Amino acid sequence: MAGIPHDHYEPKSGFERWLHRRLPVAGLIYDTLMIPTPKNLNWMWIWGIVLVFSLMLQIITGIVLVMHYTPHVDMAFASVEHIMRNVNGGYMLRYIHMNGASLFFVAVYLHIFRNLYYGSYKAPREVTWIIGMLIYILMMATAFMGYVLPWGQMSFWGATVITGLFGAVPGAGETLQTWLLGGPAVDNATLNRFFSLHYLLPFVILGLVIVHIWAFHTTGNNNPTGVEVRRGSKEEAQKDTLPFWPYFVMKDLFALALILVIFFAVTAFMPNYLGHPDNYIPANALATPAHIVPEWYFLPFYAILRAFDGDVWLVQLVQFVTFGIVDAKFFGVLAMFGAIVVMALVPWLDTSRVRSGRYRPMFKWWFWLLAVDFMVLMWVGAMPAEGIYPYIALVASAYWFAYFLVILPILGVIEKPDPVPATIEEDHLAHYDAPTRMAE
Amino acid sequence: MTLRTKTLTAALALTVAAGGLAYAQETTTTVPLTQPDAATQEAPGEGTSFVATPAETDGAAPAAGTEADAAAQAEAGTEPGTEAAAGPDTADSGSQTEPEAPSTDGEGVDAVAISPGGEAVVPAETHTDVPQVEEHFQAEQGVVEAVAGHGEEPHDDDHGTDHGYGHVEDVHFSFEGPFGRFDQFQLQRGLQVYTEVCSACHGLEYVPIRTLSDPGGPGLPEDQVRAYAAELLPILDPVLGEERPRLPTDNFPSIDGDGMGPDLSLMAKARAGFHGPYGLGLNQLFRGIGGPEYIHALLTGYTGEDIEQAGTLLHANTAFPGGWISMAPPLSDDRVTYEDGTPATVDQMSMDVAAFLMWTAEPQLMNRKQVGLVSVLFLVLLTVLLYLTNKRLWAPHKVKRKH
Repeated sequence: MAGIPHDHYEPKSGFERWLHRRLPVAGLIYDTLMIPTPKNLNWMWIWGIVLVFSLMLQIITGIVLVMHYTPHVDMAFASVEHIMRNVNGGYMLRYIHMNGASLFFVAVYLHIFRNLYYGSYKAPREVTWIIGMLIYILMMATAFMGYVLPWGQMSFWGATVITGLFGAVPGAGETLQTWLLGGPAVDNATLNRFFSLHYLLPFVILGLVIVHIWAFHTTGNNNPTGVEVRRGSKEEAQKDTLPFWPYFVMKDLFALALILVIFFAVTAFMPNYLGHPDNYIPANALATPAHIVPEWYFLPFYAILRAFDGDVWLVQLVQFVTFGIVDAKFFGVLAMFGAIVVMALVPWLDTSRVRSGRYRPMFKWWFWLLAVDFMVLMWVGAMPAEGIYPYIALVASAYWFAYFLVILPILGVIEKPDPVPATIEEDHLAHYDAPTRMAE
Repeated sequence: MTLRTKTLTAALALTVAAGGLAYAQETTTTVPLTQPDAATQEAPGEGTSFVATPAETDGAAPAAGTEADAAAQAEAGTEPGTEAAAGPDTADSGSQTEPEAPSTDGEGVDAVAISPGGEAVVPAETHTDVPQVEEHFQAEQGVVEAVAGHGEEPHDDDHGTDHGYGHVEDVHFSFEGPFGRFDQFQLQRGLQVYTEVCSACHGLEYVPIRTLSDPGGPGLPEDQVRAYAAELLPILDPVLGEERPRLPTDNFPSIDGDGMGPDLSLMAKARAGFHGPYGLGLNQLFRGIGGPEYIHALLTGYTGEDIEQAGTLLHANTAFPGGWISMAPPLSDDRVTYEDGTPATVDQMSMDVAAFLMWTAEPQLMNRKQVGLVSVLFLVLLTVLLYLTNKRLWAPHKVKRKH
């Protein structure tokens, strides 16, 4: 299925030939595992494996947790405590699932920023990028609904705030919100549908992951130089690549093991560090927590949501121009979703013909500023919306949009890129000797 | 793949298999294995040394107790009690005789808070630190200093944007850190404080009574647990449709009603003692989230000032957000009488009940940390093997060009 010429599966035994004529599954596995992979991939190319691992970890722990969990407002909180206290190994299952969500998002953010730096989203990989963005949005939806299930205070109030966003849609808002919640407020109907969707969406993600992998196995991996693998002949391609098995499998497994050391240390020694204490208080519709804070991985977009309040002239202008249809609240919602939309559209917003940021002297600065901007948004999203914080949030949000809508389109025109190596092999030979037989 | 690579890969596969096995066994058997030594190592000196914050003085806890004043504080806490209960033994304990430990351990288990355990406290003295012994007899003022000291140290939580929260002092608990364990005797004392004081207004509705005898918890003998359950509020049996005495298989009662306090089952995880600085979360990273510290600070944070507001009497408290709490100061010195002779200062009782509530909130804490140690060790080994395999595999393609 890969576009790069390489050896294909040849059934050897009689059984293999028999099966191959009926179902070429062995060939599929062989071609997937032996795909020629650019040999210069660096350590930022490990996050895909970490993400696949995280997805499987979440699905497996999740399926077992469901066996003990009760999705009902009167029993959900107690059933989580039942898992923590009475189910064999239940405390680890739940903590792994809880922190697994964080591992998932750490990996996905690094994966996304890797792509933004090396221009992996550019032609011909736009479809891979778009599918990736869909996966990311589904991940956020899944994580959000999962956080509601323990039915603690933050579950309840987080659900109230986030579903309230849909209430901001002009005209249809209230109907939409009621439809989402299954009633006028967050209640048992909400918990039940969130539970149902929280179980469903990971399998949708799994399907999209397969398509994601299919897409980039068709185009081949990008690599740190951004130069395409030569496809003229098998020999030519072999100078630029190594087979995925065993070279990249071993490399990825090593990286995964290292990451799991940290993951298990966090999960076993400080499992609640990334959570919020309020979620150990049962949901109470009559007591609003002092600060409603989403999970850390939502904070950058939560900051953008809150940044555009009624005091911002742009918001006032839009409200005036639209005769009040787009008010401050709806503007914030649009900004939050817009922040993801502009990122999804980056293949068409980036006008530079050079793919990798490595050869783009001006781009580099703006990219790293975006990375810092993302961290600032994450931090300010956790701060109360008072004092200087709304201004910081506003500036940081503005940069997020400016990067995608202004800076990337202009950079492609005014920037003079550094010389790009002609082939991956040339880049490799600049650092390493030609491959040798191992001296033994 | 070359031969060497294959050998490494094979070693790797073996490690994975062995690790998997070990892990599986670990999760099922850790408890019995660790328990005895928890008792021998930690129990001694526990009740006592934890009064003071910074220094963990007995053998089980690494390092810590080096600072002189820390040691002094620890001592101060221990002394009066030990003098009373075990005066003659202290000299011995200073020299810390191994053979003694096991026997004391046995006795220690009997020293259940609610049932008269009598002299079982004696072992409380197997300190490993010799220097402490000298200070043993400095007694009571030390306690006062230790308590007072809590309020005085400068505290970076007050900086930045974290105002609005009360002041919470970082105190040391035995269960902190990757090697932390619950102190069984402290949990028993905490259970006593809960039973005699807190339970009047606070329930523990998520805690099964039977877990009191679980390893890694207070570890009460089963007959005592049965007796304890029967003394709690009766339960409405859903099958019989009438009230009956509680059994160990029931949960603690939930206490609801006017003027009653919140349930305490998860309180130690539902409050954060530390915040910031500047919203970065670093204080929680280095000191922990601070739930037990918050409980301790709250119970010791009454200033004695009261105001009446809308018919409710509010009490000034330095740890409570907002500064005014409706719960009257629940503890006063000697509010309970510890069976093991530990002096029941407000600070001591607060520490004990905070530790107990950490256990009710996280009864599997010791198992969890055990799993953590095993998995981290195993994964480190796996990582090293994978690193070597990967390096070997890539070696022919990664010969550094000499310039």
